[in-house]
Amino acid sequence: MKKSSSLDALARSRRSKKWVLLTVRVIAFLATATATLVMALNKETKTLVVAMVGSTPIKVTLTAKFQHTPAFVFFVIANGMASFHNLMMIMVELFGQKLDYKGLRLAMIAILDMVTSTVALISGGASAATFMAEVGKNGNSHARWNKICDKFETYCDRGGVAIIASSAGLILMLIITAMSIFKLLNKPNSVSS
Amino acid sequence: MATSHEKGTFFALSYEAKYSDTPAFKFFVIANAIVTVYAFLVLFIPSESQLWGLVLALDLVFTMLLISSISAALAVAQVGKKGNSSAGWLPVCGQVTKYCNQVTGALVAGFIAIITYIILLLYSIYTFLNPLLGKNG
Repeated sequence: MKKSSSLDALARSRRSKKWVLLTVRVIAFLATATATLVMALNKETKTLVVAMVGSTPIKVTLTAKFQHTPAFVFFVIANGMASFHNLMMIMVELFGQKLDYKGLRLAMIAILDMVTSTVALISGGASAATFMAEVGKNGNSHARWNKICDKFETYCDRGGVAIIASSAGLILMLIITAMSIFKLLNKPNSVSS
Repeated sequence: MATSHEKGTFFALSYEAKYSDTPAFKFFVIANAIVTVYAFLVLFIPSESQLWGLVLALDLVFTMLLISSISAALAVAQVGKKGNSSAGWLPVCGQVTKYCNQVTGALVAGFIAIITYIILLLYSIYTFLNPLLGKNG
């Protein structure tokens, strides 16, 4: 009697842990998807007065798009791929009980994918975008690069939001990786779920 | 696990350009220095010690650090080499060629370090998790 109730409790706790993991993954997916979208739609057009000829000002229309900077292009692509990977993992967790080919291998693939996706993609993308944004915000006096954030404030603000969202996604992916590794470590002691 | 590590740090100095001009390069130097010290210390851990689990976790963290540092340095170096016409930033490599070459060399070394580290990380994960999966596989 006691054994079955303890097994029930174990199964219940494992099921609730599964839902917790799924929720965190959904939030991480939202974070990276937000970062992708915000940066991809980042565009600002501004008309600047460049010079005065006589009494008529010469206006120049400048556009700041994310495609101008390769670092931001990489950021968009990396976060897009990470969101796609998150979506795939969510689908697999929700509907993948049928293809339970050595259920342990599934968790193993999930971990390796997370290591690749988190470690390489998101961290690389967020870091490159952060430093490019830093150059845009503060300029670089040694290289005579002027800062552009004082003229294109909305562009800079949106870029900052995208980078923050991506960093939040990175932290969440790290938490997911840790939880999955703990799940893997505890599997040999319990019945397969 | 006593494979050889290879790291790249650089202290490019010239009259006009130092590595500390850009925070990205400073980050690159600091990150690689930290990882160098860590790798050196790991070489001395005797095998069959309990610390290898911690080494695995730290390997993951440091690989991430390395990747983000080289990504940042590459982004800024790319602007330095090609400029950014939309922002009015001129390429700097024409004036400080030796600096640019040294930075390129350091980035290549960092890239090799990252590839080595990824292989090391995969091998560590395989070694650490295989005994656990072998029972139920």
